Amino acid sequence: MNMEAYAKPLPQTDIDTQPFWDGCKRHELIAQQCKSCSEYRWPPQPFCPHCYSWDYAWNKLRETGKVTTFVVVHYAAVTAFQPDLPYVVAHIMIDGTNDHVEVCSNVIGCSWEEVRVGMAVRVVFDDVTTEATLPKFRPV
Amino acid sequence: MAEQAIKDKTAITGIGWTAFTRKSGVRTLTLAAEASLKAISDAGLNVQDIDGVVSYFHKRPESKEVEELTKMLGIKQCNFQLYSDGGGGWNCAAVLSAAMMVHSGICKNVLVFKAQNRYSEGRVARTERARDVSGPDQFTMPFGQHHAAAHFGPHATAHMAKYGTSSLDFAHLAVTEREHAMVNKKAMMRKPLTIEEHQSSRWVIYPFRLFDCCQETDGAVALVVSSAERAKDMKHTPVYIMSGVGGVGKTSGWWETNGVKTAPKLYEGAGITPKDVSFAEIYDPFTFMCMTHLEDLLQVPKGEIGPWVRAGHNKLDGSLPVNTHGGLLSEGHIAGLNHFIEAVQQLRPEGVIDDLCEGPHSYDRAKCRQVKNPNIALLCGECVDSAILLRKA
Repeated sequence: MNMEAYAKPLPQTDIDTQPFWDGCKRHELIAQQCKSCSEYRWPPQPFCPHCYSWDYAWNKLRETGKVTTFVVVHYAAVTAFQPDLPYVVAHIMIDGTNDHVEVCSNVIGCSWEEVRVGMAVRVVFDDVTTEATLPKFRPV
Repeated sequence: MAEQAIKDKTAITGIGWTAFTRKSGVRTLTLAAEASLKAISDAGLNVQDIDGVVSYFHKRPESKEVEELTKMLGIKQCNFQLYSDGGGGWNCAAVLSAAMMVHSGICKNVLVFKAQNRYSEGRVARTERARDVSGPDQFTMPFGQHHAAAHFGPHATAHMAKYGTSSLDFAHLAVTEREHAMVNKKAMMRKPLTIEEHQSSRWVIYPFRLFDCCQETDGAVALVVSSAERAKDMKHTPVYIMSGVGGVGKTSGWWETNGVKTAPKLYEGAGITPKDVSFAEIYDPFTFMCMTHLEDLLQVPKGEIGPWVRAGHNKLDGSLPVNTHGGLLSEGHIAGLNHFIEAVQQLRPEGVIDDLCEGPHSYDRAKCRQVKNPNIALLCGECVDSAILLRKA
């Protein structure tokens, strides 16, 4: 891939989300887990929305999940995505998170007609530039 | 929660609108001023009778629109102004806020407006916005979720998987709303639409085809809220505000919206049951969103909306006429505030004035869109983040 040519939007990280994106660069899927009640949370925030403890650790998640729902983009509102049409934007509940970590991503490596609600998927890390890595998902 | 303290204490006393087009050729504020002056005149008021102003925006405001309109109209004393980030979910909350401003005694007559050059300018702005990938957008935009259809399509896909709802069900809703728009002089889309045309239209973002998607509109609408006491002696017969709700919550899954939380409070606040509603003007940026809103507002049992629209219950002479003006799908998209223009027209004694009827209402559906015996109207915004009940005097 020609890194200079990457024209799609990249995540603008912030103080709460930076560790997640750093994890992606290391090809690790991580999220915050509360040290008080042990629940995971998503998106990243400095305290637990379940028990309101501010004590947490960034822990590695399982690499698998299930598609909870999805769309198939046939019209590119942003022209940089034109060559990818049609592509799948899915919401994926990561296994082992007590339904607390549901991420938005692409399902790749299969035709869009094969994607189903409930489909099992596994994360793959796409190093889209030297600076940014996006977690994407393939059918298991 | 018992009946709300605001019940029947305020009323919508004036309505105004501009033409709905794809190229207004004027500034958004000019559209806002035109609709506002028409609404103030329709209420039989002067500009200086307005002492409160409310509007709303999606995500980020283009300008300090409420303040700028207040200055442009030359309002000398504004006692309260409000400009919210609630987007299309906030149409009913805007009117509810006006009711609270009046009932509290802070304001006498509140102007509520929504103006946009959404077709001529908004489509360009959407590409610009995709460059801002901060906050929650950092987790969606890098993966190509930019369009409203990609944002709301997941609700439809989940409902289809759980309840068997289909694109053909969506088609029936689109065709019915188009039939309503065909007898609406201000509607943008007045050409007939068939089920077959819907089903053969291209995918925009699956599960939404072209005819599942609403219009993008240049235009503005405005209305005036006054106290019920004052309204008795005003130009038009008032349309009373019974109850309202506004705010976002957490749902159990993609197949339902915030309406499951807000609806019970809404009906209780008005002292009525869902069955007492005569017709509904429901936020419909995509066919399916109107359908889930109707379920979540307890008008149709969850999961049964497909057969319900196929049976035509949402038609002008159905058990619950829905989007009698053609909705966002076929009339135009003024962030759902245009739904109020329709509801107020339906609930005034003279009824709808911009259908194709000459003289009294004929109820001939080729010309007339006046609902028979309308008493209570139900309106909602996106995901039922706000909803309101209006009633006839």
